[in-house]
Amino acid sequence: MATLTPCYHCGLPVPAGSHFQARVLDESRAMCCPGCQAVAEAIVASGLESYYKHRSENAANPEALPQALGEELALYDRPDVQQPFVRHDGELSTACLLIEGVSCAACGWLIEKHLRSLDGVADAGLNLSNHRLHVQWDARRLPLSRLLEALRQIGYAAHPYQPDRAAEQLARENRRALRQMGVAGLLWFQVMMATMATWPEFNLDLSAGMDKILRWISLILTTPIVFYSSSDFFRGAWRDLRTRHLTMDVSVSLAIGGAYAAGIWSTLTGQGELYFDAAGMFALFLLAGRFLERRARERTAAATAQLVNLLPPSCLRFDDKGHSERVLLRELRQGDLVLVQPGSLLPADGRVVAGQSSVDESLLTGEYLPQPRAPGDAVTAGTLNVESPLTVEVQALGDDTRLSSIVRLLERAQADKPRLAELADRVAQWFLLAMLGLAMAVGLIWWQIDPERAFWVVLALLVATCPCALSLATPTALTAATGALHRQGLLLTRGHVLEGLNGIDTVIFDKTGTLTEGRLALSAVHPLGELDSDACLALAAALENRSEHPIARAFGRAPQAAERVDVIPGQGLEGVVQGRLLRIGQPAFVAALQGQAAPPIPGERGQWLLLGDRQGPLAWLVLDDRLREDAATLLDACRARGWRTLLLSGDSSPMVAEVAGQLGIEDACGGLTPNDKLAVLRQLHAEGHRVLMLGDGVNDVPVLAGADISVAMGSATDLAKTSADAVLLSNRLEALVRAFDLAHRTRRIIIENLTWAGLYNGLILPFAALGWITPLWAAIGMSLSSLLVVLNALRLTRGS
Amino acid sequence: MAALYVMIPVAVIVIALAIWLLFWAIDNGQYDDLDSPAHTILFDDEDPSHKAGLAEAERTDRSPRQDEDAPRV
Repeated sequence: MATLTPCYHCGLPVPAGSHFQARVLDESRAMCCPGCQAVAEAIVASGLESYYKHRSENAANPEALPQALGEELALYDRPDVQQPFVRHDGELSTACLLIEGVSCAACGWLIEKHLRSLDGVADAGLNLSNHRLHVQWDARRLPLSRLLEALRQIGYAAHPYQPDRAAEQLARENRRALRQMGVAGLLWFQVMMATMATWPEFNLDLSAGMDKILRWISLILTTPIVFYSSSDFFRGAWRDLRTRHLTMDVSVSLAIGGAYAAGIWSTLTGQGELYFDAAGMFALFLLAGRFLERRARERTAAATAQLVNLLPPSCLRFDDKGHSERVLLRELRQGDLVLVQPGSLLPADGRVVAGQSSVDESLLTGEYLPQPRAPGDAVTAGTLNVESPLTVEVQALGDDTRLSSIVRLLERAQADKPRLAELADRVAQWFLLAMLGLAMAVGLIWWQIDPERAFWVVLALLVATCPCALSLATPTALTAATGALHRQGLLLTRGHVLEGLNGIDTVIFDKTGTLTEGRLALSAVHPLGELDSDACLALAAALENRSEHPIARAFGRAPQAAERVDVIPGQGLEGVVQGRLLRIGQPAFVAALQGQAAPPIPGERGQWLLLGDRQGPLAWLVLDDRLREDAATLLDACRARGWRTLLLSGDSSPMVAEVAGQLGIEDACGGLTPNDKLAVLRQLHAEGHRVLMLGDGVNDVPVLAGADISVAMGSATDLAKTSADAVLLSNRLEALVRAFDLAHRTRRIIIENLTWAGLYNGLILPFAALGWITPLWAAIGMSLSSLLVVLNALRLTRGS
Repeated sequence: MAALYVMIPVAVIVIALAIWLLFWAIDNGQYDDLDSPAHTILFDDEDPSHKAGLAEAERTDRSPRQDEDAPRV
């Protein structure tokens, strides 16, 4: 195809001969579709066109947003629907909405400005990092449905956001971590000044009374650092000691607790050295390291942990008189008859009573072609009705549906997930043992020489060798690497991914939507008559453009317009292009136009559509699911590392073997249920393999949850994204290859950091053992070694 | 040295105030979104009421220093 101008609004190519345009910033701009045109016009009409000047990313295509009908939005005006997420405060209502389609900072500005210009909206604020909109409005002047509609007009979809318990807890923990860090920081500065004033290096003429005051002030200010800021370390240490583990928490608690206890004693007696500033420094450095790591992870969790909306919020139910009315999903009962329009999700498991259509089950089963469904056939909740309306009798709802059984499988798999031991914790264990042994030996020796000094020498040894740098070594490296990966489109949602990637030896791929694009695209045109393939494609596109069918999108936009187009469900389309009566669709349907027998389908892979006019068939058009362009690169990278590759698909078509052959995957299985996939994973685990899973569908979810490391595609269902350890936001498999490299480099940096921390401790040890280390030298040494570790970790953010 | 007897209690009071301020800021959600404020400031120039304010300032020919920012909506 020739190069196409990008749509001014969404950046997708504008089809040749498109007549959609809008006047933005005093120029006429080409638009790809009526959706973009309408959104652009709405934005200009509300005086917000400078959005286009300031945006750094293209807007989302409004047609890609989930469909919402006016009557579905109207449901949100019902008080019982609003009850869980709307708070009433006098005349104003407050709600938190999750916004879909936010691509850059300018979107936030556009949304806030547009809403505030509405009559009745008091305030609107969008949080760009988690895409949540807080809005305050007067419900008497502006119903919620109008507010949601206003957002739709400028190209965003909004869903009510109800924080689940996990999200609330996360937010609470975050604020607590920030408070602990802030308290430790603010108090440490003061403690440091007071403590340092007592050191002979800084103060030669300190009066005894002043010395006493400074000691007491340091003690008072250190107390909150120990009992408030460091409480998590002590709790962690207690937990680990009970399970007979020596971890970083134990050694940190020992250093902080030791320094504090000795400080109390020295304050009371007025003798000995003060180590309060060291305790404060440990606390601040360690809390900062953990906070950074938490924030890097959290950003990702916020972006992905959205609603698990696999089911539609509402559906059309027939009442006794045969009228359909829109009801909420929870109002649906077994035995109800529901009408499922084309393009909507099935709300419940059931049986087709009337209508004929095809159902896209790819997310649930991995079948990549829509499956035909006729009266009497069973349909599954969460699948997509593609072609024409279906009337379905509800047989199973909620927890009894097939979808829920997969979710339960997920929970079981999660419980079995193996935990990877973290490098730093393993190092900390023997490091701590060695340190404690040494401290004991040094203490005993000094006891023989000078019992007075023995305690202070041992304390200096413990403080000087506290593995501050050791515990910063890992979090800083992981934080830097997580940030670098995020910029490349891979979001890590769990901490163990980077370290775990180095231990992987087997990779499981899903096919549909993972190695392939997961949607039908035009793969070939075989002309049968005198017209060449371009001309046939133009005719087919003209017809398909008038159809709402998802398949129709594969044809792109047509330069010509078709007239009098009829949609015959399950058969195809009929219409007139340039005075010529055409049909496209099932071979028999098209051949009937000429009164001939249908020609046999020449190939087996993909979906074959026939195009024909009165004179005879014109062309075969083949629709197929294409391999992603970078799938081969990913497979090469896996092979280069000597990993075993497996393809597990729910698709039972021969395409599974074909994809495996094309990419050189060793083992391929098709037609697997989620349970079968999980069984394969268990088998691999039993053989001692470490498994990476890459998938996208609901049927992959149990394996994603159970694999050592799991990566979900950015286009995956929410459930898959939330159960995976990482999300490939960009959908580019290349990013995964870079992640393998970065994981390798991260491990090297962590080892370097650990080595340096160990080296520093080894260096300072003899001096501490000889009793030469004063609090001043301990402080300088610790700061320097920590700084070095952090700088070394920052190298990961540079280059790729 | 006598000054220290005053300075130390003052330091303790200042630190208590700082901690109180920090807790207030955290609970008020000031740290919840660290991304948007950096960007929104760029758009304030486009604020229609800000533009109106600028135009007004030009008409009445006041010096730019007196020119107040338009109230934020």
